[in-house]
Amino acid sequence: MNAKYTPDVTIPPSTQREGVRSEPRWIGKSMKRVEDPRLLTGKGKYIDDIVLPNMAHAALLRSPYAHARIKSIDTSRAKALPGVIAVVTGREMAEKTGPTASFSSPPVVQHAMAVDKVRHVGETVAAVVAEDRYIAEDALELIDVEFEELPIVTDPMLQAQARGDAVLHPERGESNVAMDRTFTFGPVDDDFARAEVIVRRKLRWNRSEAQPIETNGAIADYDEGTGKLTVYCNTSMYNYVGWLCSASLGIPATHLNLVPVIAGGSFGSKLFLHKIIVLTASLSRIAGRPVKFIEDRLDHMTTADVHGCDRVYDAELALKRDGTMLALRYTVVDDYGAYLQYGYGTHGNTFAQIVGPYRINSVQARVVAVLSNKAQQGAYRGFGSEVSNFVIERLTDAAARELGLDVVEIRRRNFIRPEEFPYLIPTGNLYDSGNYEKVLAEALRMFDMEGWRAKQAAARQQGRHIGIGLVTCQERSTFSATEFWSLNPPDQAGFTLTSSPEAVSMRIDPTGKVFVKLNSPFWGNSPETMATQIVAEALTVEPSDISISYADTDSGFNGTGPGGSRYTVMLAGAVVTAVKTLRGKLFKLAGHMMECAEGDLELRNGKIGVKGVPAMEKSVAEVAIASHYFRLSFPNTPEFASGLETTAVYDHPLTTMPAADRSHLGIYYPIMGHMAHATAVEVDSATGKVSILDYVAVHDCGTVVNPMTLDGHVRGGTAQGIGTALYEHYRYDESGQLLTASLADYHMPTAHEMPADIRIGHVETPSPFTEFGIKGGGEGGRMATPAVLAQAVEDALSPFDVRIDEVPLTPIRLRELVRSAGKT
Amino acid sequence: MSEQKYPIKVTVNGRKIEREVSARMLLSDFIRQELQLTGTHVGCEHGVCGACTVILDGRTTRSCLTFAIQVDGAEISTVESLGTVNNLHPLQSAFWEKHGLQCGFCTPGMLLTAKELLARNPDPTREEVAEAISGNLCRCTGYQTIIDSIMAAAETLRNAAEVQA
Amino acid sequence: MKPAHFDYARPRTLDEVLHLLASRPGDAKLIAGGQSLVPMMNFRFARPELLIDVNALTDLDYHRREGDALCIGALTRHVTLRDSALVRELCPLMAEAYRHVAHVAVRNRGTLCGNLCHADPASEMPAVMLATEATLVVQGLSGRRQVPAADFFQGVYATALEPDEMLVEVRIPVGQARLGHGFEEVSVRKGDYALTLVASLLGIRNGRIEMAAVALAGVADRAMRVPTLEAGLLGKMPSDALFAEVGAAASLALIPADVDHADAEYRRDLIRTLVPRALTRAAERAAFQPTA
Repeated sequence: MNAKYTPDVTIPPSTQREGVRSEPRWIGKSMKRVEDPRLLTGKGKYIDDIVLPNMAHAALLRSPYAHARIKSIDTSRAKALPGVIAVVTGREMAEKTGPTASFSSPPVVQHAMAVDKVRHVGETVAAVVAEDRYIAEDALELIDVEFEELPIVTDPMLQAQARGDAVLHPERGESNVAMDRTFTFGPVDDDFARAEVIVRRKLRWNRSEAQPIETNGAIADYDEGTGKLTVYCNTSMYNYVGWLCSASLGIPATHLNLVPVIAGGSFGSKLFLHKIIVLTASLSRIAGRPVKFIEDRLDHMTTADVHGCDRVYDAELALKRDGTMLALRYTVVDDYGAYLQYGYGTHGNTFAQIVGPYRINSVQARVVAVLSNKAQQGAYRGFGSEVSNFVIERLTDAAARELGLDVVEIRRRNFIRPEEFPYLIPTGNLYDSGNYEKVLAEALRMFDMEGWRAKQAAARQQGRHIGIGLVTCQERSTFSATEFWSLNPPDQAGFTLTSSPEAVSMRIDPTGKVFVKLNSPFWGNSPETMATQIVAEALTVEPSDISISYADTDSGFNGTGPGGSRYTVMLAGAVVTAVKTLRGKLFKLAGHMMECAEGDLELRNGKIGVKGVPAMEKSVAEVAIASHYFRLSFPNTPEFASGLETTAVYDHPLTTMPAADRSHLGIYYPIMGHMAHATAVEVDSATGKVSILDYVAVHDCGTVVNPMTLDGHVRGGTAQGIGTALYEHYRYDESGQLLTASLADYHMPTAHEMPADIRIGHVETPSPFTEFGIKGGGEGGRMATPAVLAQAVEDALSPFDVRIDEVPLTPIRLRELVRSAGKT
Repeated sequence: MSEQKYPIKVTVNGRKIEREVSARMLLSDFIRQELQLTGTHVGCEHGVCGACTVILDGRTTRSCLTFAIQVDGAEISTVESLGTVNNLHPLQSAFWEKHGLQCGFCTPGMLLTAKELLARNPDPTREEVAEAISGNLCRCTGYQTIIDSIMAAAETLRNAAEVQA
Repeated sequence: MKPAHFDYARPRTLDEVLHLLASRPGDAKLIAGGQSLVPMMNFRFARPELLIDVNALTDLDYHRREGDALCIGALTRHVTLRDSALVRELCPLMAEAYRHVAHVAVRNRGTLCGNLCHADPASEMPAVMLATEATLVVQGLSGRRQVPAADFFQGVYATALEPDEMLVEVRIPVGQARLGHGFEEVSVRKGDYALTLVASLLGIRNGRIEMAAVALAGVADRAMRVPTLEAGLLGKMPSDALFAEVGAAASLALIPADVDHADAEYRRDLIRTLVPRALTRAAERAAFQPTA
């Protein structure tokens, strides 16, 4: 009997201080959002709403060629245009501004504007600063660039053969393969040897992107009096690694202040906008005026550096005949585009949940990262693991088909069981808690599987094709910095960071109001609401007693930011720490004021009172005003110093080091949510159009702070998943031209493309490791929707015996499949 | 500057405005930059996303596809005319209650589109609401809570009208 | 994405419009709704030197029956026609096609005539003009001329308009014979330009097809009728088999465009599928018409 493989990882004990509350007042409440009033009345201040005195505007000259040497640039005519303040080429900018931040090791060097060659259509060649954007764009047409075209290889499977001038970064190697490494976690060969069945699929995940309605933008203001740059930007990360921008600018970190601005959507595309920050900052100090640059939609689509995964998988799943999964093995080629800003981090990310919710014993992954003359990849909701979810679910469906098993049954059979948590998966990551059977049961309760099967049968009689799908997927949250160890191969590790904290500053003013300063921004997540609810819960004050603001890098503390659905979990940790400190001081003060022991006190409804004695209590305001103004009423010892304020830094509560040889990656993404999605679709086999008839999504994100906002992420994520599954595709032709270069061509779902009602179910399996048991739920439906739609469409088209192995499932693609099945 | 300026007179949110504009200044830029009414947002500048929606002579219009010069003599309403923090329009209250927004960028366009719909059709079906907002892209919500919000506002407005009647 | 410079005029009369057009041959563009033109200007694909704003010609905003024609003036907005009971009555094919046209804000400003002059090969209304055999009334300084729809659409964004001419009216023949209409469209999303669409009219007498007009769009560089398809229907009794046969024949006879989001093979599929669907609806509706 083969023993289960367990990686050599020691699970740290829990440092949770606040467990699940039995009768929470604010946690779990669908409170109206704190952020909304200003957004509803048109008073939200997004980046393009900010105006500085004497501000100028920038526009970018983008390359029309996918690969070319820049032989010369003549900017004289552009400079002569009235209203133009400065025209800067990439080479000129590079005189004082170094390469942009890169998390690849060795770095794949990128500049804010191309210096010697352009590597993708849309790459910036020069910038104009002018009195307004209209004039700036006029000036772009007056810049004369001499290009010498270079050869292009566009097929990711052929990049290993690219040579000579077709190689984008010769310093990285002789071909366009940036990395080709195999990772082995557990006894994969043995497990495949003992398999009774092996299913194999080739799967294609085409590139899409977050495409928020607001593009990226920045305003840089160089103060000639101080030599300091202030940059306003709608970036998600700034307090964590903002200083990398000052490094690019060749200035000490003291001379750059990054100011957060609310953003109109990110979903990863605004993760760390180092390029736009460095570009505008550089232009501002060259021009001697504040400079605003807002991407227009074409800038964004071609050169924002935010495209999503672009993968070809050749994957195998080894099983026993009874459907028990044994091992997973795959080769994946990922086309990263012209640069590699996050290394192959989107694959390290998949290793966090690569086995899905299943007891797969071992995994082997050969990851081939290639470069090509396309816009580079960035982050998009899931950061790679939405793709591995698709892969494991498609393999599971293939196995079900091969073994004649029901798609639900094969999943249930392989679930990690509730008593097995916390559960180490072969890669070394941990699943903190879960109850997958319970989530599945709720999905089956909400989705009328039998009813739909009957409708399907009846429809077949009429020649109509209804299909049903059900998938069960993981939704990891709260990454630790040790994830960055997997951005690059072990022998060139680069960013072996181990800190990924979040911080809040909190103070209580003389009137008893609570002021909370956040170190990470708003982009449509609900940080102010989350902070309000958690602070209200912990301090027992009212939401209306709380004021939230955001710190810039000058005054801020180390806050990693809202990535990987970590913010609410980490914020909760920081708030609990801050509240503990303030509560401790409040009790000390109140104890003195009421002449009682601190141990007899409790917080209740915004008051500090003696347990069991309703009459003996002081309001937070009473204690606060005493603390602020009446120092001599208290003992002359340091703990009674005037005022009530604290800063709390909360480190990741559950992380361990990777093995030096990466035989395991340690624990780096353990706060593990889970979802079951079920759907019924109808496919018009003659036109290839898919309609979604019914959709159920059951999510388990542990303790939920605000069910209403969580449901927002489930539905919003599902909408993006529908886009990925059926509509969205950045297509490049053989000469590297981007064919989908407008919102008319890049098809995002409108209200019409959505099912009438996405019905949401909740299960809460709290985390034993986080405060209040919260898990992150921001990835939402996107983690499951492409898989469930693929399964349902395949089911619908079963008379044609098609295999769905590529997204998006456009009508054209579906018709091709039906046609090649030989029937119409 | 060499660009010719043209005088325009336009009523915006009830206020009479007189300005000089270049012919090519987009109405979206005029509203945002000349008038500092930044509630109207710009998402694409090619008439697809609907974030720039305003009401022009009583009809919703994509302000990025209109030149400011064209609205000489016209009446325009932007989201700022709907309500304030202390006096929200029923649509704004409904969006707040029903979580009809996350990032808020598409929201002004959605609100004005909804306002036009409900003025013409006070008792729409959900399908009619979906049809009405199908020209406004939202990337955050998946639209369902937007439709919920508009349906709730419709009911509030109908009840208020009944009370008045 | 900001447009390039242009001069601007907002004439008050048709005569002024025509003089302005003639003053800058080839360099002037008319703007009514602007829903197709302005995106192109913002991308700088279109760079007229003079933009002639015709929105002041409000007396051209009309649609009415005149004798045996539904007459639609140049400034009539899509929304007016889409909501019009008169259009539903006199040209139900147009009313049905309007369910697929764009979105609210675009329809509020965009005009039928502007859309026809833009001549996008995948747009709905040119196909409706062909199927109804409309006449497009065009005016220049040298006078008015009536252009049959069949001659008006000449290629991608290309029409029979001379540089100094304006489309002032569309005349759709109505009321001679009771026809059934069928309209089918497949687009990526509702409201997008069509991948393929079929606009059809059938007249049936004594159980046989006595008139057939089938116009396709999205399949070539312009909307088109398919004479061989129509000939294959005349004199025959409507049936699923007949409609399938003519649809299949049309899909093979045409060489559809291999552009944008679909290839020729897919468009063939759509022709084969949508033609019978449209004809079936048209036949059903024709059956309800009293015989002429």
